[in-house]
Amino acid sequence: MKGGWKVSALGLVVLALLFVVGCAKAPTEDIEKAKAATSAAVAGDGAKYAPAEAKALQDSLNKALGEVKAQDEKWFKNYDNAKNMLTKVSADAEALKGTIAKKKEEAKQKATALQGEAKTAIEDAKKLLAKAPKGKGTKADIEAMKADVKGLEDGLAEVQKLFDAGNFLDAVTKAQAIKDKAASVSEQVKGAMAKTGKK
Amino acid sequence: MLVCRRVAFLGLLLFSIASCSATPPPREAKLAEVQEQSLWGAGAPVYAPTEYDTYKLGLRKANDLLLKEQARFEWFRQYEPARDEYRKVLAQGERVLKLVEERKAEKSSSIKARLQLYTNRVETSGRLSSIINEGRLARRSLTRAEILLREARALHDAGKLFEAEEKLSQVPEYLSAAEDALSPILSRFVDKKHVAMWQRWVEETVANSKAAGAYAIVVSKVDRSLILYKAGKPITTYDVGLGRNGSLDKLHAGDGATPEGKYYITKKLPRSRYYKALLINYPNEEDRSRFAEAKRKGIISRRVGIGGLVEIHGGGKDSMTYGCVALENAEMEELYNIVGVGTPVTIVGALDHKSGIAKALGGL
Repeated sequence: MKGGWKVSALGLVVLALLFVVGCAKAPTEDIEKAKAATSAAVAGDGAKYAPAEAKALQDSLNKALGEVKAQDEKWFKNYDNAKNMLTKVSADAEALKGTIAKKKEEAKQKATALQGEAKTAIEDAKKLLAKAPKGKGTKADIEAMKADVKGLEDGLAEVQKLFDAGNFLDAVTKAQAIKDKAASVSEQVKGAMAKTGKK
Repeated sequence: MLVCRRVAFLGLLLFSIASCSATPPPREAKLAEVQEQSLWGAGAPVYAPTEYDTYKLGLRKANDLLLKEQARFEWFRQYEPARDEYRKVLAQGERVLKLVEERKAEKSSSIKARLQLYTNRVETSGRLSSIINEGRLARRSLTRAEILLREARALHDAGKLFEAEEKLSQVPEYLSAAEDALSPILSRFVDKKHVAMWQRWVEETVANSKAAGAYAIVVSKVDRSLILYKAGKPITTYDVGLGRNGSLDKLHAGDGATPEGKYYITKKLPRSRYYKALLINYPNEEDRSRFAEAKRKGIISRRVGIGGLVEIHGGGKDSMTYGCVALENAEMEELYNIVGVGTPVTIVGALDHKSGIAKALGGL
């Protein structure tokens, strides 16, 4: 009889535990928070400046949601791990915002530098053209290269537009192309000058 | 005591069952996770979006199956259905990856071909613009096209094929602008009627030179050459320079064009601004009638004159004349001393259909 009372008490404790654990609630608030944080981080420039990181964050969110779903289907629900995962997603999302801002700033700095270098390269070509002999053997070439420089200046104006629109990656590509072409024009001018012996 | 022993036995039994039947989740699940990352990294969402979506659906189904199993008590879990599903997903992933690589290779080679084609067109138009001294509109547009080509090449090399394609799509606009600037000038050089007319003029000039045993001059614009004939035979050829619009047929004063037609030397100028000069009878009757017609049709302004003082002069073959034909001083000296007033001067666009322009146009 004494032993029977003990078994009954143990059964009651187990039942109480089952009730408490089985009725654990899904971390709705954490889910919403993590989803909102992820959307805010990957929206806009995320895919452009940190695509791999944005994808990793999205995957982490999906995993956390999967864990929630797994617990939803269990008799003995325990959302602790899911909560931890969701909290980490929210923290990672915040960190990603910083990473994106940093990468965007780096691209901006690179675009600024290359824009300056492209401008200098064009100025160098123009200076060389001004110095180039306008006589025998070169005048037609010089005229043509002056038109090339005009085209480069048109391109440089486009770099500024891209820069103003915050499209720094495209600005970098274009500025680099202009810088290289300006350098090749300078080389051609030097070649034309060498033809006449002028330095 | 008996109850305690029974509880302990039951616990031990349950533990044994749980330990024996506990199977780890299928390793295919982890493989599929890694594969999905690879597919994404390879660009499956852009190169094979439909197939990638189907793959993702399959993966989700497998994940759901796994979750369902994991929701069971450990000793009731059956991972085989999930494992089978993951195997299907992995096989599908392999196919998607192959497809992505094929599509990327296809796109890359299409971009390379277009890069080559457009580069050739830029180079050909550049050459043509040099031949005809059209160095403003065309060159400016060609430079814009070249910048885009450089951008496209850099993006292609960085594996950003869609971005490269987008840059390439902008190139034809600038190429067309350049070709439009060149084509009115160039079309005459490949036009059969024009070339036939020029050939007839040259044949008549040479025939007259032969018949009279006299000197005659033929200037070919496209070849930038002056051929001196004596008694119908070419005796010397000089390189010449023309003006900025030298490839055009002169119509009015200030157009910078060099006239085309049958002329003769009207005056020899021993002290010209450009060393020595041979003045020709531009405008002749044909020039006057063409000028009058252009005015009547409103092609040119009423106030503009027909121009004149077209010469063969020294100053260097690259002196960018305003419509005259320029030679190096030493060669001008030689020519000046040979020919006299009345010597025929026939100026044509090209001598035949195989001119440099016709060849270069073939590249467009």
